[in-house]
Amino acid sequence: MTVPVVREATPERKAEIFGKVVADVRFQDYVHGCYECGICVAACPSARFYDFSPRKITQAVCREDLDLFWEHVNVDVWNCSQCFSCDRCPRGNSPGGLITIMREVAVTAGLRSAKEALEGGERVVYKIMSTGTQVSPDMLQPEAFPDWGPDVQDVSRNLDLWRRALPPETLHTTTTAWEIDDKTLVELYLIWHMTGVLDMIKAVDEGLHMILNDVMEELLEDHDIVVS
Amino acid sequence: MPSDTVLIIGGGPAGLTAARAVGELGGRALVVETRERLGGMPDEANYAALTPDFRPASEAVAEMVAAVEALPGVSVRTSTRVTAREGEAGDFRLTLASGEATEVVEAGAVIIATGFQHFDPGRETQMYGYYEYEDVLTLQDLEAQLKEHRVVVPSTGKAPETLCFIQCVGSRDRRIGNTWCSKVCCGIASKEAIEVKRLAPQCKVFIFYIDMRMYGFWEDQLYWKAQEEHHVQFIRGIVTEVIRRGEKLVVKGEDTTMGRPVEAPMDMVVLSVGMEPSRGTVEMSKVLGVPLESHGFIAAPGNPLDTVTTEVPGIFVAGAAAGPKDLEDTVGMAGLAAARAVALLRTAASTAQPVG
Repeated sequence: MTVPVVREATPERKAEIFGKVVADVRFQDYVHGCYECGICVAACPSARFYDFSPRKITQAVCREDLDLFWEHVNVDVWNCSQCFSCDRCPRGNSPGGLITIMREVAVTAGLRSAKEALEGGERVVYKIMSTGTQVSPDMLQPEAFPDWGPDVQDVSRNLDLWRRALPPETLHTTTTAWEIDDKTLVELYLIWHMTGVLDMIKAVDEGLHMILNDVMEELLEDHDIVVS
Repeated sequence: MPSDTVLIIGGGPAGLTAARAVGELGGRALVVETRERLGGMPDEANYAALTPDFRPASEAVAEMVAAVEALPGVSVRTSTRVTAREGEAGDFRLTLASGEATEVVEAGAVIIATGFQHFDPGRETQMYGYYEYEDVLTLQDLEAQLKEHRVVVPSTGKAPETLCFIQCVGSRDRRIGNTWCSKVCCGIASKEAIEVKRLAPQCKVFIFYIDMRMYGFWEDQLYWKAQEEHHVQFIRGIVTEVIRRGEKLVVKGEDTTMGRPVEAPMDMVVLSVGMEPSRGTVEMSKVLGVPLESHGFIAAPGNPLDTVTTEVPGIFVAGAAAGPKDLEDTVGMAGLAAARAVALLRTAASTAQPVG
């Protein structure tokens, strides 16, 4: 298993990224002060399996500890499953919400660690965003998910065989999928355009962005919709 | 004949409140204070603002003194000590000494309101360098600065860039024999931290603690306020020593919730010294023959439901003479002690009246 490396950064760069997190409009609602009581860690499923602590992430931000924050924004935030089990803080903090902000800042600021962390999601994003439908097992890149264990490699290699053992047709592959009607797809495409999701993808993966943009433009043009 | 006077020993918040209550109940009180003026520790130690409401302490003390002075039944002797007791409840005779002069006064009841003293951080331990480094202060040293609306590093005269409080100095420490929590220091350190941030907003302020004991409303009035509005950093872990490195002091400790050692440079270190029985409290125990409890404060064996009755009938205790107290507890006790003392005097007076 590869551990992402936290690259050295200047104090100014760390302060800049930290400043973006604090400046986020949601920050005031997500971070008050930390008792360091650990209720968020106790509730966190990721904390049971990883060296991951929503408390430490919140605490480091409260303490304005830039070095620790830098480690968290590069590495730890990607170990969160964003389930928000941690939203039970007696001080009204939302560690999960803070992590959402930190992830977004990591992506939009173009941190290399964010690109690496999201690499394995390329095909997933492509499938969901272009077809508007679900992830299928044949799109997995097993090497990008080492933490799923050795079986996933074997299953991926012989997926066709496993599939033939299943009686019903699942349509659950990259080439087959439940059909999404055009009206829904247009709405989805517009949402991704207007909320800045596409811009965010551009910051992480220009190639993927180009492909998605082409697919979307074609459908939108068919419906006489122009997005800048 | 039973005396109609309550002798109140100590002219601080407890004694002044008790005197006022006795006076307002129509009784007679005599307040005896060893210092040359009333006000007690808030006055003596230059407290700037009261906890938790930030009201100027001098203003509050002046109000307490004025209330007592306005009551015709209350008289005051300053620069005076109690040196001997004779007699029993309802009929005490107490010797007062002022300079060379002594006088015996009669009192039906006595209230001990002799308060506490701040732990001396040079006693038993020198690890924080209080007598070694000019820039290591105590809570009350910082109060004196705050009273003048300033925060300066003593050695440079400049505003500090980093300042930390170390909690539980002289409290909760079996090694030095003070096993109790002094109750108020967490709140007072947080209050002072807020005042520091108001006067020197650029200063980074840290509080090193074992537990933050911010009971009741102090929780959000002081602790949350310090942390959320003023970005005071609360680090769980106690500093083991303060050393000097170049121009700065360095505090060494463990950040226990982060699981890592800390070595942080500080311009100023403030020791949150706890409460000990004052000299007056220890002395009055001997002079009046009132037993102390195991920590060395005046014993109130009816605790927790009777906080003011000592083991000697007719002698009551109020405030920090009986153990660490905040102001709320102190004035509450003082009121109860006054009520008990006045009730005792009235019972003594009615039973002493000739029948028919």
